Amino acid sequence: MKSSRRKIAASVAGVATLALLATGCAASGSSNGGEDGGKVTLSITTFGTMGVDANYEKYMEENPNVTIEATNLEGGGAARDDAYAKIAAGTGLSDVVAIEEGWLGTIAEVSDSFVDLRDYGIEDQKDSWLDWKYKQGTDADGRVIGAGLDIGPQGLCYRGDLFEAAGLPSERTAVAEYFGGEDATWDRFFEVGQEYKDKSGKAFYHSPRFFWNSFVNQQEEGYYKKDGETLNIEGNDVLKDQFVKIVEAEKSKLGAGLPGWDVGPEAKEDKYAVYMCPSWMLGIVQGYYDEGTTDSGWDFADVLPGGSANWGGAFLGVSESSEHKEEAAKLALWLAAPEQQAASFELAGPFPSTVEGQKLVGDTTSAFFNDAPIGEIFAARSEGVIAQVKGPEDSNIQDNVFGPIFDRVSQGEITDGDTAWKEAMKLLDQIVG
Amino acid sequence: MTSSTLTKPSHPSTPPRSPKPAKPDLTLKQKLARFDYKVSPYLYIAPFFILFALIGIFPIAYTLNVSLYDWHLLKGQGDFVGLNNYVEVLTDPFFWNAFRNTISIFLLSAIPQLIIATGLAALLDQALRGKTFWRMSILLPYIVAPVAVAVIFAQIFNQYHGPVAGLLEAFGLEPIRWAFDVLPSHFAIASMVNWRWTGYNALILLAAMQAIPRDVYESAALDGANKIRRFWSITVPMIRPTLIFVVITSTIGGLQIFTEPKLFDGRTNGGSDRQFQTIVLYLYELAFPRRDFGRASATAWILFLIIILAGLINFAITRAIRTADAKPVPIASAPAAAQRAKGAAS
Repeated sequence: MKSSRRKIAASVAGVATLALLATGCAASGSSNGGEDGGKVTLSITTFGTMGVDANYEKYMEENPNVTIEATNLEGGGAARDDAYAKIAAGTGLSDVVAIEEGWLGTIAEVSDSFVDLRDYGIEDQKDSWLDWKYKQGTDADGRVIGAGLDIGPQGLCYRGDLFEAAGLPSERTAVAEYFGGEDATWDRFFEVGQEYKDKSGKAFYHSPRFFWNSFVNQQEEGYYKKDGETLNIEGNDVLKDQFVKIVEAEKSKLGAGLPGWDVGPEAKEDKYAVYMCPSWMLGIVQGYYDEGTTDSGWDFADVLPGGSANWGGAFLGVSESSEHKEEAAKLALWLAAPEQQAASFELAGPFPSTVEGQKLVGDTTSAFFNDAPIGEIFAARSEGVIAQVKGPEDSNIQDNVFGPIFDRVSQGEITDGDTAWKEAMKLLDQIVG
Repeated sequence: MTSSTLTKPSHPSTPPRSPKPAKPDLTLKQKLARFDYKVSPYLYIAPFFILFALIGIFPIAYTLNVSLYDWHLLKGQGDFVGLNNYVEVLTDPFFWNAFRNTISIFLLSAIPQLIIATGLAALLDQALRGKTFWRMSILLPYIVAPVAVAVIFAQIFNQYHGPVAGLLEAFGLEPIRWAFDVLPSHFAIASMVNWRWTGYNALILLAAMQAIPRDVYESAALDGANKIRRFWSITVPMIRPTLIFVVITSTIGGLQIFTEPKLFDGRTNGGSDRQFQTIVLYLYELAFPRRDFGRASATAWILFLIIILAGLINFAITRAIRTADAKPVPIASAPAAAQRAKGAAS
């Protein structure tokens, strides 16, 4: 009895030791992988529908020694918190990390968590990017921490079928004209909304959060002054005027009173008829329908109330804690190259931030959006657009100051513009002050 | 115990010849045996304490350290600020809002949960066919991951599409804004907690009930006590220690609630207007979106102290009950308990 028990114990210990050895070997093996040209596993974390995944297979085919382990988080907020926590812990970041424009400013404060891509040859393809996009990915010391993926020119997603039923123009050029074409204003947007509401009895838009963000992004200076440090909200009459107009529109029930960000199943239930669509939003709208749907009624028009503006866009960074910086940078730069940007666009809609990439998608159409020539429209919508300077609290302000206030307005808790603005300022003070 | 039994008899015991008189001539084997005897017990329990020091004491102490500094999540340690972070948290209306929400959700979950769990346990304590089946069934919710529970319940209580909304509509009632109004959201979150923990607690209480000697019930029945009377006068008093254990564990768990309110509306940290932001969610908001690690750590310590306080209150109540109960009982355990129960029953 005793001896047999001992034997079991010994063999258990032996197996455990072996396991330890094995994992030890695996760890050291993979850390040398990059240099040996041996097998390398690269991790990448993305979020939302970035379409980057369109290219993984091809990369692994072309680089048989590389295995890509991809994680896609549901939204930008989750990706942000995830990245923050891992930077704070000093470990755990993927080799390649997707960074959103809204929190790039925060990341730039600790930019040494990411490698300087100039050390890995990003300057060789520098000219392929739009100038401002490349600059956005550069920190104050001139280190390039992010390779630009997409930009966020915005057009108007609208339900052609619902417009038609309400007796409004439904063909996309006519719709663009109806909203004012090149001179489209927000006032006109609310007018059309009222008209739609009167004729159809239904809500016009989803929630005010959306076009509030569109509006903020249209300004020369948004939540921050151009220095990226000074807040630009309190006492900003331009923002406040629009804010008050939105509260009024909410009172007239132009909005469907839906919470937050989700396109939501309400789209299918005809609960609203327009949606502000930065390029990366197309994939999100589409995501609520079955694959291959072409009769959803959604269409896409070359117009944006208040004029062209960029909203969002992502970058790929390589973490300093990566064990395969060389390989990871190679992957990141490849994914951000024109051909791959074009493939992402065709899969999910994020518009290329490279000139060449934009050319490649010039005649792309979208079957889901009633065969709209989305490549052409986004090219038109991005003409002359330069992204606004974002500060460290930009995404925090968007999500935790104005987001909650608009939810309260939508739910009818606050009905007066001035009061709502005061509440927002109070919240701003508590959260950022 | 002295070492004299181990020394060879030929040696004189009084004048010490060497600085270590006690163990001069032990063989290696003897030394090892002594070492084994004296040190081994500590070695056996050491792994727990080493682990506890690493993953218990160290983080707690480190959190205390962080809480005394201006500490940015990403940029790291800043200036020493003493108790300033504590003052800021305790004067922040959001903290007190979170405190109220936590207590409210706790009460809404703990009270119905204990009542239902006790009732369920009493039912399962009856002579049932297929005992194991019933017992396992009530434990089923417990093995579902809290994240899954939260996601499913968030769908059930969806203001626009949830089945609950459908039911209300079918009865022509006003829709309830589950994720927007304070009490409904607390109710929805408490229901997740209840769903997950009721069965688990019922099983613990059932175990306590099964330990009650059956003859106590028999004699009570002979004395004419009906089922309900027996439940209140025998079962409840005799499972009291277990009940208190359940209360304490659910207090600790309840005060730390996070997953359920976080995922009830994943975009926010406890509702657009912090309708269901609990203390841990408040801490999370400070630590991540707001990146104020110092204040988040201070919040963690405040929560730690609140939990200790809650534990002490529980302990005091327990003691008060025990002393009130403590009448001299002559004989040991079972008969004594029986006697006590009989006394209570009559």
